[in-house]
Amino acid sequence: VFCLVFAPARADAADEGSNPLGVEVHGFVSQGFMLSSRVNYLTHSRRGNFEFTEVGLNVTKSIGDRLSVGMQLFARDLGTIGNYRPQFDWFYLDYRFKDWLGLRAGRTKLPFGLYNEQSDIDSARVPILLPQSVYSITSRDFLLAQTGFELYGYVPLGPVGAFDYRLYGGTIFIESTTFASPDAHVNDIDVPYLAGGRALWRTPLDGLTVGGSLQLLKLDIDYTVSDAFVEGLKAREIVGPDFGNRLTYKIPAVLWVGSLEYAAHDVTLAAEYSRWRTESRIRPVIPIYPDSDQTATRWYVMGSYRAATWVSPGAYYAVWQNGVAGPNTRNKYQQDLAVTARFDVTPNWLWKLEGHYMRGTAALRSALNANTSTATLPREWTVLMVKTTAYF
Amino acid sequence: MREAPFTSLSRGGEGRSTRLARAALMLVSGLVLLVISPMAFGEAPPPDYRVIVHPGRPDTRVSREFVANALLKNITRWSNDEAIRPADQRVDSAVRRTFSERVLKRSVQAVKTYWQQRIFSGRGVPPPELESDEAIVRYVENNPGALGYISGTAAAGKTKVLAVTH
Repeated sequence: VFCLVFAPARADAADEGSNPLGVEVHGFVSQGFMLSSRVNYLTHSRRGNFEFTEVGLNVTKSIGDRLSVGMQLFARDLGTIGNYRPQFDWFYLDYRFKDWLGLRAGRTKLPFGLYNEQSDIDSARVPILLPQSVYSITSRDFLLAQTGFELYGYVPLGPVGAFDYRLYGGTIFIESTTFASPDAHVNDIDVPYLAGGRALWRTPLDGLTVGGSLQLLKLDIDYTVSDAFVEGLKAREIVGPDFGNRLTYKIPAVLWVGSLEYAAHDVTLAAEYSRWRTESRIRPVIPIYPDSDQTATRWYVMGSYRAATWVSPGAYYAVWQNGVAGPNTRNKYQQDLAVTARFDVTPNWLWKLEGHYMRGTAALRSALNANTSTATLPREWTVLMVKTTAYF
Repeated sequence: MREAPFTSLSRGGEGRSTRLARAALMLVSGLVLLVISPMAFGEAPPPDYRVIVHPGRPDTRVSREFVANALLKNITRWSNDEAIRPADQRVDSAVRRTFSERVLKRSVQAVKTYWQQRIFSGRGVPPPELESDEAIVRYVENNPGALGYISGTAAAGKTKVLAVTH
């Protein structure tokens, strides 16, 4: 990979005769470092942590004018997530009937908001972390990709710009460890449906895009809870004597985001507002875990500017609010003020430096913080990140 | 004691106005001369870039938006359904800088970032980046449906030069 990255500049330039098979190969390697104050964030970061690695390699090939195929292998390590296990990030076969109608089958990245498809692609953006209020790394299982079908198209509209749409339906595969806990073993995770779409209006003002995305999905999680947990419920007479160990946890969810972006010349400005409504239903009913509905409000504003060919500073402010705010609810919200800079050392190698001032603990995990409740973790904390990426 | 006329001219309000008016007149005259002189001598300044297509294409003009969408692969077909085969210039070439800013309305670096997004999300790969104007001309000559751009002063060979409407 490094040989390809640091080969002479023409390595990424296909000439008339340099790519006779028409096979495109691209890849990237990223290594980051994270240091946080007062809490552990994403990984054991208080003492500084290098468990912040991403590697990707993809191959694509056009077969004729309308058909193409491709796949990308991806591995990462981020604290307890990933552990360098390679997986298919995406794979597809794509047939483009017309510019306004194409069909894609396989595992495809979900077009949710402006940047969801880029959440793994460090070289495609200025910040190290996209605004986590909308593009949460910990929601990657639900938001990154789906396996099924997608319709897409690009429709020029003459003087009123162009219309860019994507519609998809399929399923997602979630690792059982995502929902595991000490008292509950996950037997199966079923996704009865996943459907959604994104519409972008490329306005006549060059670089201005307005859009909206919608996603509907349902998770059915089949649990076996521990005998000790069940006996505890019975002892407190919360459940009857015939209560078994098997539970089903149903989570229907509706997510939407409205998007606004201005990207022209060297300036990129973006703002997105999103609401995620999730319901929780445990069957058979356990009275201390009643059915619940929750709506999370998530938004951010972000800007970056390419000040020179080698440096692009940027900043964003992102807010995530779960349910209704109130006293002692620091774990219901997360406010994130980030300042970042990207340094392009060569055309295929970059460094990034980023600082976050955080308020709230909704983005934290008890498991990374000595099992301390997120409601009692420090409300204000900071994160410093450094990352380097080579790509070709 | 009366001041010398030149003193009064340099200090008085009327004198300053006259000087400014004269300077403005000279500036405007200079600009007009600058604009009309090449026309008067039949020497229109060469364009910074020219869009070229395969000689078999029937088109004579094309909109800037179409060229931009073709280079960014948002549009992949000509009006007669023939596949568009775009070609790009080297990242460090002057003509690419000009073309990116004027036609794509983005810097070269921003276009590169656009392709990074497409490549690693599986949405497409960039057009081939060729070494020179001559290589672009050869590519366009040899590939039906091809579209490229070259420096304003470069020879277009057997390709067809299209007028770009803005």
